[in-house]
Amino acid sequence: MGIAILWVIGILSTGLANAEGEFPRAYDDHPDLSGIWQAIGTAHWNIQDHQASAGPPELGALGATPPGRGVVEGDAIPYQPWALDQKQKNFENRLTEDPETKCYLPGVPRATYLPYPFQILQGTRKIMIVYGFAEANRTIHMDKENPEPAPIDSWMGRSHGHWEGDTLVVDVAGFNGQAWFDRAGNFASDTLRVIERYTPIGPNALNYEATIEDPNVFTGSWKMTMPLYRRLEADAQVLEFKCVEFSEELLYGHLRKSPTP
Amino acid sequence: MKYKLINPLVLVAAALLVTIPTIVSGAESGAQTHHVHLAASNASEAVKWYLRHLPCKPIAEQPDAIDCGGFEIEFVVRATLGGSPGTGVDHIGFSFADLDTKMAELEAVGVRGSGVRLQRFEDGSTLREVPGLFKHGFVFDPWGTRIELVEDPEILGFHHIHLHSADPDAALKWYSEVFGGKPAKLKGQQDGLLLGRVWLLVSRHPQGRPAPTDERSIDHVGFVVADLEAASVLMTARGVELQGPTVPENGRSSAKRAFLSGPDGVKIAVVETGWAGIVTAKLPTEDSSASNEPFTTPRTPWGEPDLQGIWTGNAAHGIPLERTAEASETTALTPEEAAARRERGTLGSIWGYEREWRDTTLDYAKLAPSRQVAMIIDPADGRLPALTEKGEARAAAARDARAYRRLAAGPEDLSTYVRCITRGLPGLMMPGIYNNGLQIIQSPGYVAVQKEMIHETRIIPTAASPHLGSNLKQWLGNSRGRWEGDTLVVEVSGFNGRASYQGSDENLKLTERYRLVGPHTLEYRFTIDDPTIWTSPWTGMFQFEKDDAQYELVEYACHEGNYGMTNILSGARAKEKLMKGPAG
Repeated sequence: MGIAILWVIGILSTGLANAEGEFPRAYDDHPDLSGIWQAIGTAHWNIQDHQASAGPPELGALGATPPGRGVVEGDAIPYQPWALDQKQKNFENRLTEDPETKCYLPGVPRATYLPYPFQILQGTRKIMIVYGFAEANRTIHMDKENPEPAPIDSWMGRSHGHWEGDTLVVDVAGFNGQAWFDRAGNFASDTLRVIERYTPIGPNALNYEATIEDPNVFTGSWKMTMPLYRRLEADAQVLEFKCVEFSEELLYGHLRKSPTP
Repeated sequence: MKYKLINPLVLVAAALLVTIPTIVSGAESGAQTHHVHLAASNASEAVKWYLRHLPCKPIAEQPDAIDCGGFEIEFVVRATLGGSPGTGVDHIGFSFADLDTKMAELEAVGVRGSGVRLQRFEDGSTLREVPGLFKHGFVFDPWGTRIELVEDPEILGFHHIHLHSADPDAALKWYSEVFGGKPAKLKGQQDGLLLGRVWLLVSRHPQGRPAPTDERSIDHVGFVVADLEAASVLMTARGVELQGPTVPENGRSSAKRAFLSGPDGVKIAVVETGWAGIVTAKLPTEDSSASNEPFTTPRTPWGEPDLQGIWTGNAAHGIPLERTAEASETTALTPEEAAARRERGTLGSIWGYEREWRDTTLDYAKLAPSRQVAMIIDPADGRLPALTEKGEARAAAARDARAYRRLAAGPEDLSTYVRCITRGLPGLMMPGIYNNGLQIIQSPGYVAVQKEMIHETRIIPTAASPHLGSNLKQWLGNSRGRWEGDTLVVEVSGFNGRASYQGSDENLKLTERYRLVGPHTLEYRFTIDDPTIWTSPWTGMFQFEKDDAQYELVEYACHEGNYGMTNILSGARAKEKLMKGPAG
């Protein structure tokens, strides 16, 4: 995989100057990742290979899971035995337990491939990513020499970034361990560490790679890869998706004065 | 531009100096009196509170001291890390002849403002009879000091200091040896030491060792001696290590004092007769925002004004929206008034909440509070313009809703803030008691304005682009920005009208202006133009202060941790059941 990516970068640096356009560069000559991006695919349903399956019958075909190729390298996640059981439980209880259905912050890397656009703002000392879902956002500290421990565990973790050539490498840790990876119940714990790599592969696309480490859940590290596409609509805008009110019935319906039947 | 980021003089706390007039006999060190230092956050508020609720009277020439039936309580401004429970000095006690009446009076005060927090027993009562001792109950002062109220006709007024110890016997022995006094049993039951007419009671700490008193609301216990030099020689001979004696720099008299560490982390002061405390440090008189020195707004490498960084609204917390009639001629508060106002604002929340939650770790108290009289700068009288007919109707409905608050039937009956949906605009920009962080990050053509509370981020494009269509309304509307010189002007419209600010509705047109007025000061102006509610537009202003060095926005995962919602709704259901009675 590493070789393949190096090859892609090789194409970039030599080929793109003659192509339709180059990936934009920031004032400091690093790639300028600023813009509105979105993953296209079905990883938000399941990061592994999955065939089409039924959803809640009352939603008809709207609720069904579409088939999709996985984004996990080798399609295998090296779960420890207990964790595989937990993943299965998560799957069975997904309609009420998935943090996404509760409109909870999605965590990393899930925020990246939820079916909503997100915007990157590349500032001078920090990079901010604002996601469409649940007001999720991250500050990537580019100005810290050594990754500092997170002051407090959080859903989105604490992100430290640096450049390796044209690749933005982000080291994310300090998670609270409550986020999932997808609607299939894949998960990690609060010892999760994610190394993300954002690499331009064309004027309007990035290769996104996330290496997942969690010694309490997995027997080894594993990796997922997918392209991110620039939203090219002239009026592209990350709109508000304040989903809290859509989760209130699920979370508090039983506490209503007239409980929902 | 003169600017003081750190203002150590605004660290606020209070010290309670209790002076026992009776000479304690038999003490080798000659200790005659003692005092307890309590920490509060504002001396004048603390003086008022104790004068109002406890049998104490003011002391001439000492505006920060009171006399509680022969015990002198002196308040000193300093920082605190929390209340007294859990430390080696758990609480102090006052005795009343008629405790039922006193407690009824305190219960009527309520917890709001500089109120009284009650500690209820398991059955919900505030008082109970301890067989063989007396009737008693507990309250807290607004600064976290636990106060026991007892009905002991033998000693009225100030009654006791209650220590917690990992080894009560050893502690009693130590106090007795160092300061004199006879170990005894109060009413034949409670272990203690009678010093003059005051009891020093000692109980076993419920779990291990108590926390040190240093920087807690009861900071230390003090003893007064006639000759500190002589006493210190005696104490040193007993193996007690003293810091001092010294005559403190800001002392009101030339009386000396010394500190030592007592058992169980109790900080102890020994002071000489004539001790009149420390003169409270003066608040700064310099206005951080006023300066004639030129200031140039920095630029981003791509040439736009650079507003990036971490800012906080902590200094602005407490500024009211409207100018009061009494303040119609005031140009700025004095620093003392500003400090007192912020303190009241902080205490305006539920008692105790602010003490546990206030950003002490993030130097909340170190930023000098704003001296601005009110936020509204236009109209010039600092008052909201007249309401339209519809505005009047909405205001009346809101007043009724507040007056006749009903049990929440579901989440929709609660505010969008309680529901963790949004604080609305410009509501989310407003300073509060905690999590006041504001982070600005820019990329060419965009400014992201992120508020820590309740993790809301606005992305503002600064290149010309059309507003969203009229069928696409949002909670925070749609922001379109532009640079006018060094000022970021943001026009916001397209509100869904469900997160109202002061009664605004979906027709609100909000115009915000952000500009640096100094390297560390970001001025924020907001103009509210909602012709359906107000007869004319109006503008408010306050400032954010830069705090890049140590502040970091934390993830305010509001909805994810909204146990309050579950509790409010399940509480409402429980209350309905109670009101129906057992049959229902």
